[in-house]
Amino acid sequence: MLFRSENEIDKWRRRVGQNRGAVLSLSQVWALARRWYHDRMSPAYRGKSSAEAQSIFRALGLTGEFWLAPPA
Amino acid sequence: MAVTTRDSDWQIRLFVYETLIATGAAPSLAMLAERFGLSLPDARHALRRLHDAHALVLQAGSDEILMAHPLSATPTDYRVIIDDVALYANCAWDSLGIPAMLNCDAQIEARHPLGEEAMRYRIAGGELQNSEDRLVHFAHPFRQWYDDIVDT
Repeated sequence: MLFRSENEIDKWRRRVGQNRGAVLSLSQVWALARRWYHDRMSPAYRGKSSAEAQSIFRALGLTGEFWLAPPA
Repeated sequence: MAVTTRDSDWQIRLFVYETLIATGAAPSLAMLAERFGLSLPDARHALRRLHDAHALVLQAGSDEILMAHPLSATPTDYRVIIDDVALYANCAWDSLGIPAMLNCDAQIEARHPLGEEAMRYRIAGGELQNSEDRLVHFAHPFRQWYDDIVDT
């Protein structure tokens, strides 16, 4: 979900009863999108492993429990 | 549990993406069967394997393709205009995923979750523009993303 401010996020969370998740700037999300999707149209693409996903998160400084992979 | 896919499944996946980008609509099961010389049951099994491998998302209880991330096969709150063609993204992240995937410029319009004025931003020359200080809220942690990918 895209918002203009933290206040808007809080207002929306109260409205729908949603716990706070992770909040990134749109610039951070653009960096994430480039790393996540750049190879999606390659004929060689065979999906992304949890380890590859974690590597992308770490490279962007996205650490902590929210960004941890599910148990194998 | 790991999902076993076949190389031919991934060719089908790529065709799904190419069709969505070209037309804005996902190919039907019958179209895929004809394109790849498959029986309807074999085409259905290929789509199901791709769904189980998280390579695309089928409508619940259906053979229809709902999502091929970052693309949505149905209109959403995130409209991405590329060369005057409207594509739809599944979420704010995916609205940027489409130009990232296609390595192209894009104009994006996002409906506001609280009903305020729509938000517009664009990718030009590989740079995000008009992003101001907008924020993206991720509701679910990574470990839950595939529990309910539609809700995620």
